Amino acid sequence: MKRLIYIVFLLFGQATASYADTELPITVVRPTTYDAYANIPVGLTHEKAIRQVPAINPGEYFVPPAVGDIPTSKYGDMVKLGRNIFIDTQHYAKRYVGNGLNCSNCHLQEGRKPYASPMWAAYPMYPMFRNKSRDVQTFEGRVQDCFRFSMNGIAPTLDSPEIKALTAYAHWLSLGAPINKELPGRGFARLAKPRDPTPVNGEKLYKEECATCHGLDGKGQKFTNRDGYMFPPLWGGDSFNHGAGMSSVKDCAQFSKANMPLGKGWTLTDMEAWDICTYIWLQDRPWDPRFGWFFNIFAPPTGGN
Amino acid sequence: MKIQKHETEKQLIKMLGLVILGVSVLTLTGCGKKSDESHDAAIAAGKMLAEKGRGSIPACVACHGANGEGLDAAGYPRLAGLNTAYIDKQLQDLARELPPPGVLIEKVSKDYSKTPRIYSDLTVFSPSVRHDAVMSPIAKQLSTTDIHNLAAYYGSLSFQAKPVAADYEVLERGQDLALRGKPEYGLPACVSCHAPDGEGFGAGFPPLAGQPAAYIVSQINKWQTGDRDNDNLSLMRAVADQLTDADKLNVAAYYANRSLTVKGK
Repeated sequence: MKRLIYIVFLLFGQATASYADTELPITVVRPTTYDAYANIPVGLTHEKAIRQVPAINPGEYFVPPAVGDIPTSKYGDMVKLGRNIFIDTQHYAKRYVGNGLNCSNCHLQEGRKPYASPMWAAYPMYPMFRNKSRDVQTFEGRVQDCFRFSMNGIAPTLDSPEIKALTAYAHWLSLGAPINKELPGRGFARLAKPRDPTPVNGEKLYKEECATCHGLDGKGQKFTNRDGYMFPPLWGGDSFNHGAGMSSVKDCAQFSKANMPLGKGWTLTDMEAWDICTYIWLQDRPWDPRFGWFFNIFAPPTGGN
Repeated sequence: MKIQKHETEKQLIKMLGLVILGVSVLTLTGCGKKSDESHDAAIAAGKMLAEKGRGSIPACVACHGANGEGLDAAGYPRLAGLNTAYIDKQLQDLARELPPPGVLIEKVSKDYSKTPRIYSDLTVFSPSVRHDAVMSPIAKQLSTTDIHNLAAYYGSLSFQAKPVAADYEVLERGQDLALRGKPEYGLPACVSCHAPDGEGFGAGFPPLAGQPAAYIVSQINKWQTGDRDNDNLSLMRAVADQLTDADKLNVAAYYANRSLTVKGK
């Protein structure tokens, strides 16, 4: 009864505010007094002051075509194969993959999500100069790098159906996107770095925010009723290797800021994202394949373990 | 003389090792049997309570169906084959009193840059709340043991979903939301937590397939109004806040349309 009275009171309070010109009915929402998360004191430091989730307006980000609109043609078949490889790499490109990941573990929502390296923002930018290879790289070459580093596997050759299909899928996703123009949502989020990151905070934050899905040991969680991972491993033998972009603290932090915890992007502060990723960076993972076999066999295990 | 002593020592060590091995094997097998027995007893007690009720506690089967399959028309959820820990937690949350209005639940700020070690032990979590006009009064009458037994019983049941037909366009839109979400608005896909076929994953991510459409819609409505707020990291709350009324109907119809088989234990 008390609750009811409170809600009625709240309704009156809102009705008197300037809601008259909106057509939407005013719905009863949670009273702020119950909202533990809304009561986090903000503005204590600069870090806390930026814990504000930006509202997304319609038309702010590029919208790729719908899956139902894949054309019925040879090209469309290639796009479909590419999509299959993209969301189930473990099955459709099995022999090129050396770990437990799929493309869509990082390129979220089938390569469509802004600030999770969406394909529609990446494809029109190639060929592009990359600092990593110190050369101008084609899109196909970039996909090969993904297989070598992020998938910790073997790069398919440029004429392989896998590369063709993935390229066709990215090409189809960027239908209508401008060539060689940076679209909003490209790559990852841009972060400030107020201080040097520390894994001490990172470990604590990891256990709070990440361990629910990725596990306390960071090894992800496997399905009980099928092969593969429900939640991808962040380190360990089944994760990306040291050469992958995601193994750099910067890329990881930029990705986490916009996308993690899943569905709650932009709720971590910049510094929290840096701290968590520093902790993840310290963990053991496969070595960089560019270092050669001698180093990879005889070098001591990495970081924190 | 010395050699003999060594041999006796060796024999003694061997004997000791055998004894330790035997004892450990015995205790291990014994423990296994005992826990199995107690689990079976819990299932039996849960079944009794579910079918007959007790005192003012009505029988669960009256609303949730004879085999825990739920009731589509009324939107009563299925319980058969759900994760045991999930049922356990939901009943506990349903039984929890709502915080009185006006009480400010303050989270201790975690200002890591200043004194991380002190604050880490003082973190305050808001109590998980799930309120339902029908179920909450019933859940309040259940003891912890009752809840444990009921969870064990319904977790052990097998389940076969009966797909509900729906309009093609509705299903298509529901599928689009379930598999891809709304990337341009930062809304994740249902399958990214509730597993690829909506069969659920672990204690934190309940199944969507095989649940009545009306139940899914009513739960999302509760997330939005705050009558349900008992998830980890408030992941579902963040998702539910972004769903439109059409989204709810589409995705609920899609999951009510899915087939699903859950093996009993």
